[in-house]
Amino acid sequence: MQDMNLTGLFIDLMGRLGLNYEFLATGYEAQIWRDGFITTLYLVAVTIPVSLIVGLIFAACLTSGRLWLSAPVRGFVELTRNTPTLVQLMFSFLVLNTVVSNMLGGAQNNPLSPFFWVVAVVGLHVAALHAEAIRGGIEAVPSSMIEAARGMGFSQFEILRYVQIPLAFRASLPAIVNGLISLVKSTTVGNAIAVSEITYASIMVWTQRDNVVELMIVLLAFFSLINFVVARVGSWVERRLAIPGYGL
Amino acid sequence: MFAKTITKTVFGLALSVATLAATQASADATLDRIKGRGKLTVGVILSGAPFGSIDPKTQEQKGYNIDIAKALAADLGVELETVTVTPPNRVQFLQQGKVDILIANMQYTEERAKVLDYVPTPYDRAGGAAVVRKDSGLKDWADLKGKPVCISQGSNYAQPLAEEYGAIVKGLPSQPESLLALQGGNCVAAVHVGATVGLLLLDRADEWKDYAIPFPTELIPSDSVIWLRKGEADTQKALDESVKKLHASGKMLELAKENRLLNTKYLEEENKKLSAK
Repeated sequence: MQDMNLTGLFIDLMGRLGLNYEFLATGYEAQIWRDGFITTLYLVAVTIPVSLIVGLIFAACLTSGRLWLSAPVRGFVELTRNTPTLVQLMFSFLVLNTVVSNMLGGAQNNPLSPFFWVVAVVGLHVAALHAEAIRGGIEAVPSSMIEAARGMGFSQFEILRYVQIPLAFRASLPAIVNGLISLVKSTTVGNAIAVSEITYASIMVWTQRDNVVELMIVLLAFFSLINFVVARVGSWVERRLAIPGYGL
Repeated sequence: MFAKTITKTVFGLALSVATLAATQASADATLDRIKGRGKLTVGVILSGAPFGSIDPKTQEQKGYNIDIAKALAADLGVELETVTVTPPNRVQFLQQGKVDILIANMQYTEERAKVLDYVPTPYDRAGGAAVVRKDSGLKDWADLKGKPVCISQGSNYAQPLAEEYGAIVKGLPSQPESLLALQGGNCVAAVHVGATVGLLLLDRADEWKDYAIPFPTELIPSDSVIWLRKGEADTQKALDESVKKLHASGKMLELAKENRLLNTKYLEEENKKLSAK
């Protein structure tokens, strides 16, 4: 009951400012809109780790010096970096997903949801950007340091794990945080395949109620807030990891 | 310092006078303005036959909505200019004055009538039809409960499908994507304006041979009306008379038949009612 009153008060207050939030008092539209926030946060929370882990694997492959590892990854990175995320998503959902359905003998056997495709497409797209950033960092590690590690008996993998990646990660952190911020914004492409994130929910509401301005204000504020948090966390990690005197 | 203040004051005064003039002009001389310009700007949607599409041969816009716009402009004695709009941006186009009126597949709803004015006499009545696979076994709207149903973002079928029939609504950017999602098995039904999908199934019978529109009724049949900015009463009145004239003379019905609207029952009724007067 308390909640109802608060909603009513908010609608009334905004109404006096000339802003129409009346849909909040309805059932269906208010429901999909509220769920939209949760879905966006969930999408961001799942896609960020996916992009980081895959980006790290990609970077390791790219710098491995083994052609059978680096060539396919290089191909994939070029493809995803150079094509629009929206096109990739539409293609994945409307073409690849249909192919998968046909192979499994019908859509009812296909476990891949639109949500999965958004995580996969956006996650891998940003992973490709991360990979390039980390590759740059790995290649910036002085060769004398790697020689020293090899001299101490480190294997190729151990050099990557204990020498290159820790330094490369620090060097590429600003670029990675940039990538994550663009990832948060990219999750909005989900609206094209009916993943009920917040832009989708807003479109569904404003095409009925024509209160675009009101919902845009909330959208802008919401994404600013998420990315403010992402950027703050990023700079906090940067400060925590800084090596005094090393310049990183 | 002094000069600066003067400039500011003059500028501020000029601005407020301009604003005042603008508000007064838009108070209610809209019809005069349209006639003065000699041009009626109409927002139309080109989402497919029979309402609005582009002729692949001539690259010209055609369809029922375009023809109505032409007839209205002719009746007002002005030229017609069409502007293509989409469901998410059409109201902004109207409110920002980029178009004078919208003939854009927009049905009457109470929510819309709060922010916009409309021409009281409708030009069509349209409801939703569900395209489903013939072997799906779906017989009526109630069968959609708990099943994924594709619509286009901006159609007013989302709420009745979700609330009344318990379907899981998936809104895709527009009708082609929604139909592709249906063919890909991502939804069991695609619900769109009856006339559009009916015509599609007829015209592309080969591609759609496994699909049908089996439900006996249309979803929320509602009046398609012309929308305009709030408070433009004289334009509203003039357009209403024009629309009534088109109904009474049988021109509206003729346009509908030319554009192959499948269900003209409502237009026939309206024609009888208004021509009897």
